[in-house]
Amino acid sequence: MAAPSSALVASGLTKRYGDTTAIESLDLDVDRGVVYGFLGPNGAGKTTTMRILTGLIDPTEGEARVAGTPSSNRRELVDRIGLLPEEPPLYDELTGREQLQFAADLRDRPWEDVSERALGYCDALDLIEDLDRRIEGYSTGMRQKTAFVQATQHDPDVVFLDEPTSGLDPRAAKTLRELVVDLAAEDTTVFLSTHILPVVEEIADVVGVLHGGRLVAEGPPSDLIADAGGGDGSDGAGAAETDTDTEAHADLEDAFLALTSEPETAWQS
Amino acid sequence: MSERTGTTVFDRLRADARDANVLCRTELRARLRHIWGEPRQLVANAFMLLLFGVGLPLLLVAPALSYGGRLASGPVPAGQSGAVVTAVVAVGLYLGGAGGFNQNRTGSVGSLVRTSIPPRAVALGRLVSETAQASVLVVPPWVVLLCLVAVGAANPLPALLLGLATLPVLVASLLVGRVLGDVIRFASRTVGISLWAKALAFFVVTTVFYVGSQVLIESRIGDSGEIGSFSLPPLLPGEPLQAYAVAVLDPLGAGGQPLGLLVGLVILASIPVTLAVALRVEAGLVTFESSGSNDDSDLASGTRNVPRPFTATPSARVAWRYLLRTRRDPRMLAHLSPMLFGAMAMGASFITDPESLLVVGPGALVVGGTTLAGAAFCLNPLGDDSDQLPLLLTSTRSVGMLLRGRALAGAIPGLVLAVGIGTPLAVYQHGVLAATGQTLLAVVLAMSSAGTALGIGALVPKFERREYMNVERSHPSTIAVMGFFFGGLIVGAVGLVLVFATLDWTSPQLVAIGWAVYLVVVVVPPVLGYLYAVRKFDALTLDDV
Repeated sequence: MAAPSSALVASGLTKRYGDTTAIESLDLDVDRGVVYGFLGPNGAGKTTTMRILTGLIDPTEGEARVAGTPSSNRRELVDRIGLLPEEPPLYDELTGREQLQFAADLRDRPWEDVSERALGYCDALDLIEDLDRRIEGYSTGMRQKTAFVQATQHDPDVVFLDEPTSGLDPRAAKTLRELVVDLAAEDTTVFLSTHILPVVEEIADVVGVLHGGRLVAEGPPSDLIADAGGGDGSDGAGAAETDTDTEAHADLEDAFLALTSEPETAWQS
Repeated sequence: MSERTGTTVFDRLRADARDANVLCRTELRARLRHIWGEPRQLVANAFMLLLFGVGLPLLLVAPALSYGGRLASGPVPAGQSGAVVTAVVAVGLYLGGAGGFNQNRTGSVGSLVRTSIPPRAVALGRLVSETAQASVLVVPPWVVLLCLVAVGAANPLPALLLGLATLPVLVASLLVGRVLGDVIRFASRTVGISLWAKALAFFVVTTVFYVGSQVLIESRIGDSGEIGSFSLPPLLPGEPLQAYAVAVLDPLGAGGQPLGLLVGLVILASIPVTLAVALRVEAGLVTFESSGSNDDSDLASGTRNVPRPFTATPSARVAWRYLLRTRRDPRMLAHLSPMLFGAMAMGASFITDPESLLVVGPGALVVGGTTLAGAAFCLNPLGDDSDQLPLLLTSTRSVGMLLRGRALAGAIPGLVLAVGIGTPLAVYQHGVLAATGQTLLAVVLAMSSAGTALGIGALVPKFERREYMNVERSHPSTIAVMGFFFGGLIVGAVGLVLVFATLDWTSPQLVAIGWAVYLVVVVVPPVLGYLYAVRKFDALTLDDV
């Protein structure tokens, strides 16, 4: 059974759609206050896993607990989690500020309680001057920033981020990565799904690689890189200098490719 | 995409026709698969087919048989023949206009289509595809009615001639309607005014057209009371269309006139001309990107804080935001269009009989307002928010708060109509006592309407986006909307009858029984509906969507 420090535990999670198995016998145990990078090729089951963990869909088999709450108990779960899905769930007709206030209302949290944190994030993400403009006129990046603030403003125990840097310019993406690290430092667990490997390498404490619905590898990025023969693993996770270290990027990419490669088919050999 | 370089105009046209054929077949195949793959779609389409293919001809059995008999027994009845052709023109104009106005059905492959096939081929393919889809509703009743005419005439020739007469009229009016719809759509996309101004303009134009036509018809044929003989000469284009009908039916001995032949030629000539115009306009619209739907001042409208009365509860704050969103984008209420058309019909009767305004008006406002209370935001409560479901389902302990917010948001404009306007009118017309009864009824019915609508919305939620009235969003089920409107009309009317029967006090026992039954009807379904909606949506997962 999971240790008391676990923020997220899943055992035997399986999800089937007819004859198709999206994820199979997935076990996860993520500690509090860590950034968990969740990697996998397209169709590996990442989104399905995140949806189960956030209570948006039910597993066919197995169970999951997030911050000690069963993911099937959505009533209790909503107080513990924040979610930034791939498509930012925003209302075009509202302004950014109204959207954030609406999100606070949904959680029955007075805006006054969350506004300091929310506006702080907006300030950091350079969104503050556009908060009183209608979301209909927002760029993709501004929508992404608003949805990130919406997912984190209530100080959840676990935040699920699906491609959070999608559509962000390099400066905003860097700020967002820093905010994610800050969240983890505040004991918030961040479950991060992305295809941008340098982001994972830079900020993730632990990486899980999903392939064909199964977790094929898990561990600190440095370990995965070492296993792939890319180094001794001593200079891996969380190192800011990896921004300029292209060799390390290639190593994590190599590790990912090695873990998720299909057996060679006849025409390839 | 077909090869077009270094060829003649004819070759390019042929290539366009080939591409249009591919697009048309793809759209029709996609539509058929959508219908077959969704049981509700299958039922709804079968119902529509039955309604138009069987229901409509059933209503017209007697007139069609009689008309066939008259065609066979003597001179062609010019008035009736003109009316038949006019009806075909009206159907064609409506279907063509609706098709031209609603043209976003390329859906998620729209960009692909627009960049893969020349605009003219896209326009042609979609025109044919949409006409084919519309013809599914038009052809069956048309064929059945022609058969009835043949039976009435005991001879197939009149029906064949009538078919020959109406076919080019239908095609021409479809194309004219299409061009009109295109022009309205183009204007709607280019004019840089607010969405409310556009909605108001649409309402005014439609009302003037509808009410005007009603008043005109009534002023011409209302006094005689002889609707059966239906003499249309005073009504343009009745006379030319009668002449056309007589000319085409000439082999039966009616005696064609030059005017009829001229009209026939104009109809035939208009087909290629309007087709060319429609293709030209629609080809332009395919690549046209609007810049005038909303101006920047709209988008920079500033944050509106929740005003005092709405700050009391989270539901009230949610209600305020639904109202705010609707104020900024009235398209959220596009599904209420049938209600608008009902109001127009009533408006027409008020104009032709102004005295009825004060007699019927207060009650009509109660019925309309309370129906609006439920229909505005509750007929597709979570379907309407399908894009935001990941936020809503991971943020609220129970969707009950959202549903109450929606109910309150609808009740406010509903009660403004039913009580804010209806009560003063009722005081003026019926006295304080009746106005009080009517007001109490309105308040109860508004809550009842919202609860019932939530139950219906939970029973038949619609999460997929579709286009209706040129607005693409997750509209409520059409059957649910229509059923709710008719149900609301009946329940509201019965309530008003009970109010006045109570004031009359001639049969108190009967009235007491009536109220007992009525209260069960207006209390039990909404309570059960609300509870069902909360239960169902609290258990909703994205697998259900």
